[in-house]
Parts: sequence; C-alpha cells; structure tokens
Amino acid sequence: MKKRTLKFHDVVPFITFIVIFLFFTIASYNPRNGTFRMLTPLNLNTILDQTMLTIVVACGSLFVVAQGSIDLSVGVNLALSGVIATWVAHATGIPFLLIPVALLVGLLVGIFNGIIVSRFKVSSFMLTLAMLIGMRGLVNFIQTKTHTQRIPEELVFLNTPVVKALIFFAIVIIMAYVFEFTKTGRYSRAIGENETAAMFVGIPVKRIKLLAFALSGLMAGAGAVFSLITVGSTSQQMGVFLEIRVIMAIFLGGVLVTGGSSAKFYKIFLGSFSIQIIINGLALINRSDSHISQSVQGILLLLMLLVSVIAEKRSRRTRDLSDSDSANKRRAGFRRAGR
Amino acid sequence: MKEPILEIRGLNKRFGPTHANKNIDFTLYQGEIRGLIGENGSGKSTLISQIAGVYSPDSGEMRIRGEKYCPQSPLDAYKQKISMVLQELGVVGNLPVGVNVFLGRTGQFTKNGVVSLKALNRAVAEQFEKWELPMPPLNSLTGNMMIETRKIVELARALSVDPDIILLDEITQSLSLNNRRKLYELLQKLKSMGRSVIIITHDVEELIEITDTITVLRDGEVVGNVVSANTTPDEVKRMMVGRDISGDYYRADKKAQYDDEVVLSVKNLTVAGELEDISFDVHAGEILGFCGLSDSGIHSVAKAVFGLSRASGGSVYLAAKDLYIKNPMQALINNVGYVPKDRDSEALMVNASVRENFALPSLGELTGPLGFVSPKNMKKLASEMVSKLSVKCEDIFQPVSSLSGGNKQKINLGRWLAKDLKLLILDCPTRGVDVGVKAYIYSLMKEAKKNKIAILLISDELTEIIGMADRLIVMKDGRMTKTISRDGDFTEQAVIEVMI
Repeated sequence: MKKRTLKFHDVVPFITFIVIFLFFTIASYNPRNGTFRMLTPLNLNTILDQTMLTIVVACGSLFVVAQGSIDLSVGVNLALSGVIATWVAHATGIPFLLIPVALLVGLLVGIFNGIIVSRFKVSSFMLTLAMLIGMRGLVNFIQTKTHTQRIPEELVFLNTPVVKALIFFAIVIIMAYVFEFTKTGRYSRAIGENETAAMFVGIPVKRIKLLAFALSGLMAGAGAVFSLITVGSTSQQMGVFLEIRVIMAIFLGGVLVTGGSSAKFYKIFLGSFSIQIIINGLALINRSDSHISQSVQGILLLLMLLVSVIAEKRSRRTRDLSDSDSANKRRAGFRRAGR
Repeated sequence: MKEPILEIRGLNKRFGPTHANKNIDFTLYQGEIRGLIGENGSGKSTLISQIAGVYSPDSGEMRIRGEKYCPQSPLDAYKQKISMVLQELGVVGNLPVGVNVFLGRTGQFTKNGVVSLKALNRAVAEQFEKWELPMPPLNSLTGNMMIETRKIVELARALSVDPDIILLDEITQSLSLNNRRKLYELLQKLKSMGRSVIIITHDVEELIEITDTITVLRDGEVVGNVVSANTTPDEVKRMMVGRDISGDYYRADKKAQYDDEVVLSVKNLTVAGELEDISFDVHAGEILGFCGLSDSGIHSVAKAVFGLSRASGGSVYLAAKDLYIKNPMQALINNVGYVPKDRDSEALMVNASVRENFALPSLGELTGPLGFVSPKNMKKLASEMVSKLSVKCEDIFQPVSSLSGGNKQKINLGRWLAKDLKLLILDCPTRGVDVGVKAYIYSLMKEAKKNKIAILLISDELTEIIGMADRLIVMKDGRMTKTISRDGDFTEQAVIEVMI
C-alpha cells in the first residue's frame, strides 16, 4: 500500500491547535457553575466573528505567502478601505456603495503593491512595511477630518450570523477554488518553490505576482466590509495589528515562510482558529494584560520557526542520504515516515 | 610504481538502511591520477567525502603516508594536505572571489583584527597564476557568477593549500571545452610534481584519456581497478553496469535527415553583451546542435530563443505557429519546451513532489472549464510519465530532492515530452547523468525527432553533438562562425579547428 509520507511541519499545526484548544478550554473552567467559559455560545460566537475576519483576509495573503513574499499592508489597507468606503457611502447617500468602494480601494492598494514588487523587484517586506507606516498616517488624517463614522443604517441588517456566514462561505469557497484548483494557485506555489524554474518553464511570473498582491488587497477590502458590519463604525483601532494576526495564522497553520507547496488552503483555517483561541482564551482566564498575550503569541511564532528549521534540516538529511545511494533511496521515505 | 600515499582497508559506510560503501579497499600512489567511476548512487561521492573528512567511516581504516588517518572535518583533511572540490557548489555567494579562495584561512592576512584585502588578493592572484587558471575579477561576488567560474574559484581554493592529494568530484561537467583542457594540463602538472589526484566524472572516454588508473564502483563495492592505457570505454561501462551495453547509443546514420518545413526562424538576433547577429532555421524533425567554448554564447541562444533575454535586435519567429516569441510565456503556450542546463536551480522545484514537477509545464493543457485544474488529471499525467520514463521513485508524491540526478533529469526532460511540442530546446541534457540514463535520453531524442519535433541541442560535449545532430553551428564570442551538416565534414577535428 502506497502512502503519502506525512511531513513533520504538516502535523505540528494540528497538534498545536488541539493542545491550545484543550488547554484554554480546561483553563476556562468555572467551578462555581461547572461550565467552561470557553464553550459558552456567546463566547464561541465572538471567536467565530473574529476568526472569520482573519480567514477572509488570509485568503488573499496566502497567495502572496505561497510565492515566498509577504504582505504587511493588509491591516492598514483594511482600515483605509473601510474609512473611505464609509465616507463615500455617506457623502453620496447611496449606502450600498460602501461594499464596492471598499473592495475597489483594497484592490487598488494591492495592485500598487503588486506593480512595485513585480516590476521593480523591490522586496515585498520592505515595500509593505513602508505602506503599513505611511498609509496609517493617511488613515488617521482622514479619520480626523471625518471623525468616527457609523455605517449607514441600511447596512445594519447584514450583521446577522446567517448573512455573514453566507458571504463568508462564498468568499472562502471561491478563494479556496482559485488557490487549490487553478493555474493561478499552482503557479503561485511554483514561484515560491523556485522562481527561476517558474520563469524558465514559461510561467508569467510578474503577472502572477501582481495578481497575488491584487487578491491580497481585494481580500483586505472584503475584510473591511466584514469588520464594519460587525463593529458598526469606523475607529482609530481598525485593522491595527491585523497583518500580524493574519501572517501568524498562516504560519501557525504550517505554511513555511518560503511558501511553495507547503501552502495549503486548509491551513489558514487551522491557523486562524489557533491564534484566535489564544487571544480569546488569554482574555477569558484573566490574563488579558496585553504584554502576556503578546508574549504567548511570540513564543508560538518562535515555535513554528523552530519547526520549520527542523523540517528543513530533516529534508536536507534525507537528500544526503539519497545522493549516496539511489538504489536504496526509497527506504529513506519510509524511514522519514516511520519517525 | 611509487610509494602509496593513501591506503584504505575495509571501509564501510551506512546511511540508515543504505549501505553506501561496502568493504572498500583502495590504494592511491604518489603522482597518480586516479579516476573513480560508477552509476549514480554507486558510492563514489560517499567514498571521497570520507577521504575529505565530510563523513566519518563506520568501520575500516585509512592511512596516509603510512600513518593512521581519521579526519573529523575537512579541516583535518587540509592539515594532511588533502583538498577537494565537491559536487555541490561550495562557494559563499555573498563574498568576493578573493575571500572565497582563502575562506577560513584569512588569518594570515590579518593585521590588528582587520583583513587586508590587498594582501589577500595578491596571494589569490599568485595562486591563479601559479596554476594557470583563468582569473575572474577578484573583488566581484561569486554569487553572480556562472557555475563554471564558481567551480574554478573552488578549484583555486583547493589548490591554494598546496595539496598532496586533490579530490575532484564531477568538476568537468561544469566546465566548457577550453577550461576542461586547462584542467587536463593542470592534472599533468600536478602529476609531474608528484601530487595525486582522485577525479570523478561520468564521461568514460574523458576519464580514460586523462587518468592513469580507474577504479570502478557498483552498488557501493569496488568492482575492479583498470589501467587506463589498457582499457576501452566499453569495458569500463560493462564493469559499471554489470552487463553489456551496446556501444552505439548515438545515431547510427551518417546523413542529415529532416523535413523541409521550417519550425523556427531566428534572424539577426542580438542580445547586448551576449549574442551578435545570430540567424538560423530549424526544421521539423531536425536536431540542430550548438557548440562552442565557455564564453561563446551557446547557452544564451537557448535563453534568447525561449524569450528569457531581452533582445536588442533581430527576431525569433516561430513559423509553425506564425508568431514572434518575445517572452517565455508565449513560448510555453505555443508548444516550445526548454530544458535548462542547471536542473536543480533553474528547472526543478526540488522540494515539491514528482507530480507537481511533471505537471508544471502542462497546467495550461490540464485546465478545464472555469479554470479547473483537476488533481486527478495531474496524477494521471505524472503516473503515466513515471512509468513511461521508468523514473525510480516511491510514488508521485515523493519530493524530487530525494531522487538521484538521473531521475531528476528524466523529469526535467520528460515533462516537456508530455506535451505536444513543436520545438524543444535542450541545454546540456546529459549533464551529470550516468551512461544508462544518457543512452535513454538519446533514445528519447531520437523518438522526438521521429515525431517531427525540432530540437536545438546545446552541449559542452562535442561527441554528443557529433553523435546526434543533423547540423551543427559552431559559435565563438557570441557569434556564429560555421555551420556544418552531418553530410559534410562532421568530425570533432573539423569543429575544434573553427571553435578555438
């Protein structure tokens, strides 16, 4: 019976998730009434709301990470899209304009990132870091002019679990399809695996890179709509640290920093829930002091880093092995699977 | 014979379940040039890695100059005046040539904690002169250089310790003809100085020509030692494989045969700094060879035709599809395939699976309605190709990094044959593969020729081009110097005359 060999870094995220979930569930036990605070309907609802936002934004960022790049501008992009879209909806008096405008602004920012990264070969890290800082200033400027804006009354009805779930699943299914089952997704992973090889095979590398950043931006715009509907208004805190949450979700899910074939769509679900349960769980057990919460997040990220380093080493070791004897190299696969 | 300098008795090395070296006995004499040959995975590299101190043997004994020798690291090997150029590239890309040559030994140029680059470069230049190697610019970073140049830097580093024994693992495959000649001269020089050399290469003819004796390995064991002067390539191949291999893996016919239909027409193609005024036609079912020295630009032709370089003049016209190729994407969707020279860094996604690698160029064809690329079809394509090309792998989900060089090359080439190609560009398709796979690749080329695919065969191995091509173009300094047809004076002699 032939079996797919299980990769080390593919298993760890599952274990991480289960451990985190069990830990915080047990830690949230309330002896007074014998319930787990983690599992109350209200709290689960909160977790779901937050996780959905992370997943929607991560849907787009995943393309960028798969290519071995990074998009740090999604949080601030979400804020900018949200602020501009709300303002346009009020200024024009057409409430539903909020949605297309948010998507458009997000998309444009993404395209801008994509053009700079693909045409001018700027490191995506540096560029989006600059965007993160610069655009936050722009957002704050607009905020001071418009103050906190509530979303138009006509859109409030969208804040029901059913509607949000419908939109969420529509987005997720489309993005999962594009990522897992189309050329765009496969090419993105190919670029992460080996950009030169991708180019030498004839893959339009620049176009696919641009597309990935555009999708990342578009999903930040979609995230803005989600966030506005849930919160009900714009705020100074919109999208702050969201990029970190999204990227941690992707890495915690088991995608390697180098991207490539380690990037799988299901991993953003795993990672998003993990990170949200940590944030939520820490709040529940009264350890919500932000420094402790951040420390825990940092430690987890460090753990993932360690895992990817170990995974890398192991794959290199098996490579040495195979070079030394091709006739027996098949057993190498078993050995790795057995451990 | 002179005195033995290195003696190995009963050496064993295992990697997990793999018995890479079994009871190896090996004696190297002073002033001897020893060839080491065997199929991919026969344990050649493992053996010299142990001599070089990269791995420690599990059992057995090594003696150098009669004394016990158990190196724990390459540094110990250096101390015993053993140096090496190993298969995988061993230069630090972000350091300049000069520092790379004296890597780890820059202490001698240090004054008050600062390395004097001037003194260092002077010493490096001396080394290049002493060994008559072509000197690259010493202050440039090695990372930006061609593989060939980087190999020469490694060679200079190995020589700079003034070694008694130098180990060369598949160095010639990275060198072009003119530098190979330099290497041959260098070997003779080392021999005359009483130094010993162990050299590994897949090229049997070359090995017989340049070595004194040859040790043949098979499945981790020494099959036998032969004196180069008294042996034939066929005998060595037979020892390597353990059975007879028919000698004629090249084409048997002596006539150029191809259709009149022009598939690709290149006119006055110029790429600044690389190519000047290149014009040629390739016909359906034709193998057009390109040969030349290292800076002749033959590899640039491949890139330019596939649309990878920006042409400053001229055109690449794909007559079969009536369009001009301007970028690689166009080439891909119009049934042009390209097998790059450096398969690990330019062609394959080594950490991805066999399936992903096979399917990559065919994703366009595999795409159904709504852009759907069915994993089932990918699996089908990969499974078919694996069995057709008899790629040795556990299953199609195995990462390519765990395959041997020959099997990697089968994927690199085979994935294009899964497509309905018009034109196939091959850049050194048999680089670093053993005779068995080599013969197989030639048979694939013959089959492609029969199927009316036009082939551009670019190679550093002249015999290969003479053996396979219908016509060949000799290049020099980025220009075409001569076109020779198989019908005419199609000999190595004739080519070398115009090449140099």
